[in-house]
Amino acid sequence: MKAVIMPGFSELIIIVNPTQEVTREGMLSIVMPWLYAPWLDAREKGIIEVEIAGDTLRTLLTELSARYQAANVDFQPINPTTDDLDFDYDVFVNGKNYVALADGLDVRLKDNDTVRVKMLWRWDG
Amino acid sequence: MLDQSELIRYNRQLIIPDFGEEGQGKLKDSHAVIVGVGGLGCASATYLTAAGVGHITIVDFDTVELPDLNRQILYWEKDVGKKKVIVAKRKLSRLNSKVEITPIFAKITEENVLSIIDRAQVVVDGLDNSATRLVVNSACIKQKIPYIYGGVSRLRGMITTIIPGQTPCLACLSPEGVGGLGVLGITPALIASLQALEAIKILIGHSPSLAGKLLLFNGDDMKFQVREIRRNESCPVCSPTLPQ
Repeated sequence: MKAVIMPGFSELIIIVNPTQEVTREGMLSIVMPWLYAPWLDAREKGIIEVEIAGDTLRTLLTELSARYQAANVDFQPINPTTDDLDFDYDVFVNGKNYVALADGLDVRLKDNDTVRVKMLWRWDG
Repeated sequence: MLDQSELIRYNRQLIIPDFGEEGQGKLKDSHAVIVGVGGLGCASATYLTAAGVGHITIVDFDTVELPDLNRQILYWEKDVGKKKVIVAKRKLSRLNSKVEITPIFAKITEENVLSIIDRAQVVVDGLDNSATRLVVNSACIKQKIPYIYGGVSRLRGMITTIIPGQTPCLACLSPEGVGGLGVLGITPALIASLQALEAIKILIGHSPSLAGKLLLFNGDDMKFQVREIRRNESCPVCSPTLPQ
């Protein structure tokens, strides 16, 4: 699948196989530039385009994780110990939390699906 | 000026290059506010008191409960049921009687936050929820007081040092997350120690290391990462385009 990624504030917004041009129109400025680490040439445009081998949410997250780690960025939404989403992250597909999807992380993504990967902050003291 | 007992007491930090008597004198004349005296606040208060920060205000509205004792090191079994700020003041004063400790037993709100942080040179985060942190963040931006955010859960934590007008503030990042995930005592101790280090750097006039940077600690596999973060030009709290 083709994934078009727009880093937001504390999140990645990913459009799957978009059938229309994706722009950052309406989105605000970049506050976490390190989210571009594996694709430095995309920083100016603010949009990252990648090809992912596979069509499930799990594949998408696993491949992105591998590319970030190759760029020395610790972005690992799927915890390798539990094989489930790590508690540092939350994931939504078309606004619906992945746990509410019938196949969870193994849901097959369709054209124009919007995936949001939120990086959660720590609030306990 | 430091007296003879202070020269002896602080000897180990006085001999650090770029710190010395001048740095110690600045610490002695400084005022830090620690908002929340739980797992984070107990540790940062202890180290700032031991280091000789002249005036420390501690703020909390809770009483000590048994589940606090795994991480809130100023409280012991005999303190259960007592007000945290009162117990903390007593212990901190016994650690360093020359430090003025001001306890404030209050819940931080938009109405009282400005008076609580008034005249502080730095505010150190020891809170346990996002809403109050955002209240403190806004007040610090308004008063131009550096605010050292720290947050933990389980074996993970994060820190950033917010310098008003220069770095992103908490509201810039629209942070989301949930609390109540559990915490091992060592995690806040570690994060709070780094917060205290940032506070000391600010108080003695050195540049803080985590201004405009987010430190992420993952104790599951002992990883530290430091990432650049930038101001949100449209931030509702600190945007330079907002009317002053």
